[in-house]
Amino acid sequence: MAGSRINISAGLAVRIAFGLASIALAFLLPSLLNPYRLFLATLIVVFATAGVGLVIIMGWTGQIALAHAAFMGIGAYMTNWLFSDVGIPWVFSLVLSGLFAAVVGALIGYPAARLRGFYLAIATLAFAELITRMFVEIDTVTGGISGASIEIIQLFGLDSDQSHWYIAVILAIAVFWGAHRLGTTAFGRCLRMVRDAEIATGSLGINATNYKLFAFAISGFIAALAGGLFGQLLTFATPDTFRTTLLIQFLVVVFIGGVTQLTGAAVGAVFVITSRELLQDVGDWQRFAFGLSLVLAVRFLPGGITSLVGLLKGLRRTDAHEAPTVARAQ
Amino acid sequence: MTVPTSLSVADVQVSFGGNHVLKGVNLTCEHSFTGLIGPNGAGKTTLFNVISGYVAPSSGSVHIAGRDATAASQTAVAAMGVGRTFQTPKLIGDISVLDNVLIGINGQATLFNQVREALFFSRSAGINRARARDVLAQFSLSDVADVEAASLPLGSQKIVEVCRALVADPTLLFLDEPAAGLGRDDVEHLVTPLRAWVEKHGTSVVIIEHDLELVTNLCEDVAVLHLGTIIARGTPTECMSHPQVIEAYLGVGVAKDT
Repeated sequence: MAGSRINISAGLAVRIAFGLASIALAFLLPSLLNPYRLFLATLIVVFATAGVGLVIIMGWTGQIALAHAAFMGIGAYMTNWLFSDVGIPWVFSLVLSGLFAAVVGALIGYPAARLRGFYLAIATLAFAELITRMFVEIDTVTGGISGASIEIIQLFGLDSDQSHWYIAVILAIAVFWGAHRLGTTAFGRCLRMVRDAEIATGSLGINATNYKLFAFAISGFIAALAGGLFGQLLTFATPDTFRTTLLIQFLVVVFIGGVTQLTGAAVGAVFVITSRELLQDVGDWQRFAFGLSLVLAVRFLPGGITSLVGLLKGLRRTDAHEAPTVARAQ
Repeated sequence: MTVPTSLSVADVQVSFGGNHVLKGVNLTCEHSFTGLIGPNGAGKTTLFNVISGYVAPSSGSVHIAGRDATAASQTAVAAMGVGRTFQTPKLIGDISVLDNVLIGINGQATLFNQVREALFFSRSAGINRARARDVLAQFSLSDVADVEAASLPLGSQKIVEVCRALVADPTLLFLDEPAAGLGRDDVEHLVTPLRAWVEKHGTSVVIIEHDLELVTNLCEDVAVLHLGTIIARGTPTECMSHPQVIEAYLGVGVAKDT
């Protein structure tokens, strides 16, 4: 008993130390990295944040959602428009854009909640196409096909790179914390019930359609929040930015990282941004590499990199007994 | 033990296309344990599906605790205090057994309250957890409460599903072949605590089962469904000796079993 108590407090101490170190690192990083590296670090944090939206809708709810890049576009364009043209403070512009994207997400979710598999994939992809088409059409907001330059924000006393970093970190903490709470409480359990055994949801009092709608809305909300900041990093947005190329990168983020885990989004974001940097010189082959890595990950490591931890643990436990398993979400 | 009529199914008919699956079924539930037996394809699960709101009957009515549930949705039926299990356990593999059982309580909370619980914490989470642990303890599953549900053998998964249904404290519980695929020991681990639960909470249990020994032990009242019609009703012994039942379902096997 005494031993276990010591273990717990030791574990807690490690956690606290780790947490403090992370906070210190987050604070100090801008002074440790050159502006370009800091930009990349910010990009990783933004990609991880956006990835959380996909973890919720795909990993936890089991819905195929291929409009994520388009939702980021909504965030990028609308935040910028509200901020620079309408004159609303940036933070409120960001939140308003998020809420708008949530409504659009629920609208997409409404028909999508009745579709499955291929049909859902096609429907959400078509919606994404529709949204990017709107980016071209609504040129007073988006600058149309020629794009919009993003008005860069700065926090008091900081340059724009530093400002972006701190905002990204704060946003990521809020999104990861909120998602973690949603995922590990009643709501998250009910979402997974929709994913793994929709047939049984009704008899448990769970209205599967409502959960799907809500998950689509949250996913859109998070994508738009990340998108608003992504726009800041891009400094210039065109409708093409938010098409399939970006979508594929997000699929790589969650599927390489591990689509059912929040940590998967973080690991996947590091993977994607690092690979993008390393593969910068290969041009279009970069897309090929992302496509290939996605196929390989889904085929050979469906749980993503984060599942390796569990696999390694399992290898060490040699007496693990064979047992029938219930279906897991892909 | 006799409990008030909690379920009344009257003249329920169901057809899928030209296929008449239920042809005017009447069923009431007046005892703690009611058995529903019959050969494969007799319509037993379809009857469960009608009662729990998955399938709308083409005619007839379903009343639960005196309220009309004929056209009620699945969630509305669940809210009337009806729980059920499935032939193959419908659990979430990658979360713990305890979390799976908690869904039985969580499903009843509104989405709004769930989000509030997630973002602003709540006192009920701890209470629910204790309740779920208590039910698992009654079914001797405390040891595996914190392991991933997928790692359990099939028999235990089925018992976990029963726990998930019971934790919501249903007044009516439908068990679809709970003992199928269970070893003798597993059946005991299911039946003994289930009997104790029913004794304590006054739950009415309707049970589809092919294990006739179990049905005979557990049920005061048995209905035999064959080709969409109830062909016999009564105590297990009465039903088993009913000539039509022997002919339609049990065949010559019954002579050896009894």
